[in-house]
Amino acid sequence: MKIFKFYFILLFLPGILSGCVETNILDRVGLTTLVGYDAGTEEKIATTAVIREVNPEFQSNVEVVTTENETSKGNRMKANRKLSKKIMVGQMRVILFGEELAKDDLHFYIDTHLENASISNSLYLAVVEGETAPLLQYEYKNIDDIGQHIYRLIEQNVKQEHMISSSLHEIAHDFYMEGKDSAMPIIKREDDLIELTGIALFSGGKMVSTLPVEDSFYVKLVRDSFTSGIFETIIQKEDIPPNLMTGTASDMPVAFDAIRSKRVLKLVDPTTPEFDLQLKLKARLLEVYPDVNLGDPKVVEGIENAVSKNLSREISRVIAHSQNVQSDIFGFGEKYRSSVRNSNLTKEKWHEMYKNMKVNIKVEFDILRDGVFE
Amino acid sequence: MKNSIQLSPKDMINAYLLFFVIHGAQVGVGIHGFQRVIYQDAKHDAWISVLLAGLATHIIAFCMIKTLEIYGSNDLYGIHQDVYGKRIGNFFNIVYILYCFVAFFSVLRNYIEVIQTWIFPDLATWFLSATLILITIYAFTGGLRVIVGVSFFSIVLALWILPLLFVPLKFSSIDSLFPILETNVGSILKGAQSMTFTIIGFEILQIIYPFVKDKENVRKHVHLGLLFTTFVYLFIMFVSLTYYSEGKLTKTIWATLSLFSFISFPFMERFEFVAVCFWMLIILPNLCLYLWAACRGAKRVVKISGKKFVWIFSLLIFIGTLFVQSRTQINTINTQFGHIAFYIIFVYPIFLLFVTMLKKKYTSQKEQK
Repeated sequence: MKIFKFYFILLFLPGILSGCVETNILDRVGLTTLVGYDAGTEEKIATTAVIREVNPEFQSNVEVVTTENETSKGNRMKANRKLSKKIMVGQMRVILFGEELAKDDLHFYIDTHLENASISNSLYLAVVEGETAPLLQYEYKNIDDIGQHIYRLIEQNVKQEHMISSSLHEIAHDFYMEGKDSAMPIIKREDDLIELTGIALFSGGKMVSTLPVEDSFYVKLVRDSFTSGIFETIIQKEDIPPNLMTGTASDMPVAFDAIRSKRVLKLVDPTTPEFDLQLKLKARLLEVYPDVNLGDPKVVEGIENAVSKNLSREISRVIAHSQNVQSDIFGFGEKYRSSVRNSNLTKEKWHEMYKNMKVNIKVEFDILRDGVFE
Repeated sequence: MKNSIQLSPKDMINAYLLFFVIHGAQVGVGIHGFQRVIYQDAKHDAWISVLLAGLATHIIAFCMIKTLEIYGSNDLYGIHQDVYGKRIGNFFNIVYILYCFVAFFSVLRNYIEVIQTWIFPDLATWFLSATLILITIYAFTGGLRVIVGVSFFSIVLALWILPLLFVPLKFSSIDSLFPILETNVGSILKGAQSMTFTIIGFEILQIIYPFVKDKENVRKHVHLGLLFTTFVYLFIMFVSLTYYSEGKLTKTIWATLSLFSFISFPFMERFEFVAVCFWMLIILPNLCLYLWAACRGAKRVVKISGKKFVWIFSLLIFIGTLFVQSRTQINTINTQFGHIAFYIIFVYPIFLLFVTMLKKKYTSQKEQK
């Protein structure tokens, strides 16, 4: 019994002592929900942090603090000096980069955030057109918490597959992969709203070019398979089958959502290199103008062919653009590495080859169904 | 053969529990970050290394059981004393006790490191090591049957973690595994050797063998346990290879834990925090079994009571954890320990089997005369 008591006390002592670890009570901490980085004017890094201070009695308070320092942790200390609450980063959801900074190099920023165990791998990265500080400091009429708002904005669009996904894990994954480059969404302030305006293409850690937001569908299509996502395209005049020509309209806008898409990529010639890209799309036709009779199998086939042609043309345009700026955001290089033995691929080597890469695109587009009214 | 161990049935365990003992002793802290170590040698063929290492454990376990069967009911310490004589045998025994000591130390220190990096950076090392050592002592004083019970529960209660590894699979691409066998065979074998630190633990079989009631079933359950471990490691390796890109894997220190960091539930933001804490249950059998094995050995070498030995052992470990502080020191210990363990676990048992067989032949010839 005596021994039992001894162990009993010994085991309970740690229990009591472990309460002595530094506590983080919600009322007493400021939760950083978003951090924006800019190239600093005087010192290396300018940070703008959106900090949410939870208050049990009143509505929570959102502070936007801008500081400049040599390191990001130094910025955190500086921001701490300006606030009454301790700053924590565990709830961080979005990291934004100013355009100028992104064009310089993001390698350091990706690494620092990976290193910190309290930062989640699932937060989103994005580039801001211009600088981040003005975007975050602007007093929006209808937005209370700008950090939360931008997070929801990106998340919602990524979930619906309107925008490429750019979580920290995926960006770091592509960054550290020899045969792939990363891509992030670009956001911009439009009066009292914030808008996704395009895709930033990276070559290594440097942002080299942009694509308009309309092209995100093509980028996603080539990057990976997807399951939803509305898309609108305009079938040009020469692609429209003659039996559908109504005479008045010159172009034919079509909107569909891809129910399933599947990409099959094959390396056919490693010397050039040359790839076969086969895309299988099953879609639902949502809108078509002018009025066509979709009950007729011939008409449906005509539209299918026209859309296929249109898609492959657009896709080759997007790929050609990425080749010009040497940014393989589609991961052709990874396919090359996995198909060619002892390739010893490095990013530089692949970028050289990528310029001359040839892709044969084949799109199979199937209309599964339209709505309830023909 | 002399000095075999006689036990009453109430001290013994059933053979099927060996499955849990073997698996529980193998899986510990190595699993947190073994991918990176193997990847440095074998690149994207690392899974072949894991497979080879798994195969090696089966072969070694086979040799171990063969050796133990010659003696009927004896442990490694007794075999040493019989084969080499009292003096040299005891020297080997002390080496083995030291091995258990270092293994215990390395498991403990690595786990503390993980806790300090992921969750509580300010929590003192002495506090964590004291807590964990006390729990281990507590389990140890319950005797072998309690330790086996701990192993059983540590596995059964941790099984739910495995299916969670399917979550990161949605970010993986199978292309990362190709082309298969691009790395040369030498590097793959070197990778398999690097698995040592992660896959050892099954040597506990050599100590626990006399405690098994139905010895004819030992073989089956030991191999099943090893097979399960190999399967778990292989699965984690596959997920990691496809989830991480090449550069990212070499830079991720605890790849398995980082795998969990993508998992989040509406009621729980960061799953890996739970995983790290829960891991205490997984390393507990490791600690208990090594402590127990060391104690068995000490009792054979010198006259010492179990209680006394445990306190000396724990005190030394406790002081040890205070001295090893930085990540680089821990890494050096892991690598060096892995190298030494390779010879103790993967090379020596084959030699021992050879020697015992010779000895048996020799003595039986002598008896015939």
